[in-house]
Amino acid sequence: MKTIVYTCPYVPAEWIAAHGLQPRRLIPRPVEGTATIPQIEGLCPYARAFANDVAASEDVDGVVVTTMCDQMRRIFDLLVRRINVPVFLLNVPSTWQTVTARQLYLGELERFGRFLVRLGGCAPDREKLTQEIRRYSVNKELTDLYPALYPSQLPPGPLSWVWQQTFQSMGGGSERDLEGTRRVPIGVIGGPLMERDQVLFRVILECGGQIAFDGTETGDRTIRSLDDRYLSSDPLVNLARAYFHIPDPSRRPNSEFYQWLREKLASHSARGLVLHHYVWCDKWHAEFERIKEWIKLPMLRLDSEGRGEMDSPRVRNRIHAFMEALR
Amino acid sequence: MSETPRQIALREWDDAYERLRAAGVPQPAYGGPLGRHVAEGDTRLRKLRFDNSLAALRLWDFLLTEEDRLQLARDAGKKLVGTMKDLGTVPVMASSLDNLVAFYPDGAWWIPCVMEVNSGLLQIADSLGIDESFCPVRAMLGAFVTGAHFPIPDLLTCSVGATCDDFSAIAQRLNGLGYPILWWEIPHRRVPEDNEGGVQLPGGFRAPASLVRFVRSELERIRLALEKLSGRVIDEGTLSRGIAKANHIRRLLAELRQAAFTATPCPIPALEMLIAEMLAIHFCSDQEETIAVLQDLLDEVNRRVAAGTGYGTADTARMFWVDPVADLQVMNLLEDCGGRICGTEYLFAHALDPIPTDVPPMEALARMALADPMVGSATDRAARIKAEIRRFGAEAVIVSRIPGASHCALEGEIIGEIVRAECGLPVLEIEVPPLTDAVSPSLRTRLEALVETVVNRRSR
Repeated sequence: MKTIVYTCPYVPAEWIAAHGLQPRRLIPRPVEGTATIPQIEGLCPYARAFANDVAASEDVDGVVVTTMCDQMRRIFDLLVRRINVPVFLLNVPSTWQTVTARQLYLGELERFGRFLVRLGGCAPDREKLTQEIRRYSVNKELTDLYPALYPSQLPPGPLSWVWQQTFQSMGGGSERDLEGTRRVPIGVIGGPLMERDQVLFRVILECGGQIAFDGTETGDRTIRSLDDRYLSSDPLVNLARAYFHIPDPSRRPNSEFYQWLREKLASHSARGLVLHHYVWCDKWHAEFERIKEWIKLPMLRLDSEGRGEMDSPRVRNRIHAFMEALR
Repeated sequence: MSETPRQIALREWDDAYERLRAAGVPQPAYGGPLGRHVAEGDTRLRKLRFDNSLAALRLWDFLLTEEDRLQLARDAGKKLVGTMKDLGTVPVMASSLDNLVAFYPDGAWWIPCVMEVNSGLLQIADSLGIDESFCPVRAMLGAFVTGAHFPIPDLLTCSVGATCDDFSAIAQRLNGLGYPILWWEIPHRRVPEDNEGGVQLPGGFRAPASLVRFVRSELERIRLALEKLSGRVIDEGTLSRGIAKANHIRRLLAELRQAAFTATPCPIPALEMLIAEMLAIHFCSDQEETIAVLQDLLDEVNRRVAAGTGYGTADTARMFWVDPVADLQVMNLLEDCGGRICGTEYLFAHALDPIPTDVPPMEALARMALADPMVGSATDRAARIKAEIRRFGAEAVIVSRIPGASHCALEGEIIGEIVRAECGLPVLEIEVPPLTDAVSPSLRTRLEALVETVVNRRSR
């Protein structure tokens, strides 16, 4: 089965699968040796790592990137020129309040479908798409959806949950740490995390925190659970509607993200927020002060260059100090 | 003034101005000695060198008095429209009505340069979490907070989608501070697929008809907002007249560019040409006066071309410049190093191309908006740059990165790769911060090296 690689959450895996192709959400790893895209001042480390990982992968039959961030939009230009795999740019509107913007996204999914057919996929009928939406929805096996994200030895689920499970298996409870003091519920938000930076969750746990919710781009903020309501009429229209409303700070206006955050903070009683972003990620970086003003809770901003800093003593110390202040 | 063209310092201009005034040479209402702007904080002017023509003086005075003009417009009961990011589209619509005045708050990106970072705008942006990792356009935030550099507009619009992340993020921060914004979508421009209807855009690119229709619907939302603000209807006739005026300005600029980039010696310096080209985007809040200012400049240039006077010689290295500079002084520096401008792509090529007049006006504006270099691929930009290089006979390309700008990280790489391969020209990528004083020696060395390379290549 041909594999289609993507990383943006606005790409519905169900749509790819419905074409008889294998969706793979690529969470980039460091690529050794010659890089397709060199280190360039101002270039987002995640975007660069994604492009280099794609270029280094041998089992990729197609790549889809989106316009949700300018850097990835421009990565498309380079991928087209530098790799021998078909690349598709999915136009995801920044605005979301108009019917025409929603229609544009739906039209883009249809165009994406034609790209998939050109790659050897089969245009899905309603039944096939419904079947895939069901497969990825109710109690979905996230390991199917995100095989790169969830190593086989870990149970499926959003990363925060994965790490909670890991921690429990290490002998700790979700509410108490090894010394018996109460753990600090923390929300984690931010952009995507490269594979090695996912250690952030473990570090938070080890520093006495408890992941109240995972609002990173690879966490439950972006995972769409489509139940049968979405299948009652045109499944593609409803799939598009569900994905189109993923709350993200890059939308204009980004009030849906704040609404999501308000609900998460209220329902999970988080006492602080950790925001992670890569350097040169303008959209998350710019949001930090506003979120801080808005939630009136302590916040810690961690930025990284994608060199595995999340496991560094410096970051560990900062997280530790943050937890101590919240205890 | 029929003096030999030469660049003069501010003090010399002020002395010359006094002589002109005493001689009774007529000046526009906004005219005066340029030195008065230094007293208002525009201290960078002391370090620039200006063309010594009356037309250039008028251009500078016009540019530096925009804030006064906006205030006068408000006092006269006109409504102000702050149009952000689209660089040339919404002002054409707003200017169609005589009770609306459009301007670009984005223009604040030059304030840190012109006021030599003494305005405090960047510090305000810092305090709002928008630090130096963002494009200098972050100064706009400070300008809104202080209200000291332009009146707060009655309506704010901002194009988003296929734009730079910096601007989108900064505009969202502004929105979060309580400034309502009418967001409109400009999608990434792509080529039509097989069996998908395509539309020819100004500038030569093609886009799917569906994308043009989408942009047109977005611009209809802008039209409704402008109508509501002005209390008047923007019908097709009104819009067509607005487009005709914009096209008049574009024609003047086309003539100016043709003469400035091809005549030898060069009839007008790079700095004045940069300012002149910028007028196409925003008309400096007065469309009629823009026409008069550009006509003056064109007349002066034509006089010089006819007289064979100007700057440099036939040996001067012919450079194509990509992206606008955050520090105006760099345009002077290029000439110091033995270069001249023969072609530019300052990120608003769509504001220089004639707006189509053979289709309904909203359709024409949608096509123009989609022709924006920013909304297409870097490969598209490179294609346009290649065509202009050939047209103007440039011998090298300078890509001047804007610090922190999301599009600059990769665009230069792609444009450089294509231009080197397909035009066989040397490409230099530099970064120009709002004040280059600290990096001026290294910038100079790099520009001189490029000039040397150009000269050496001629002898091969």
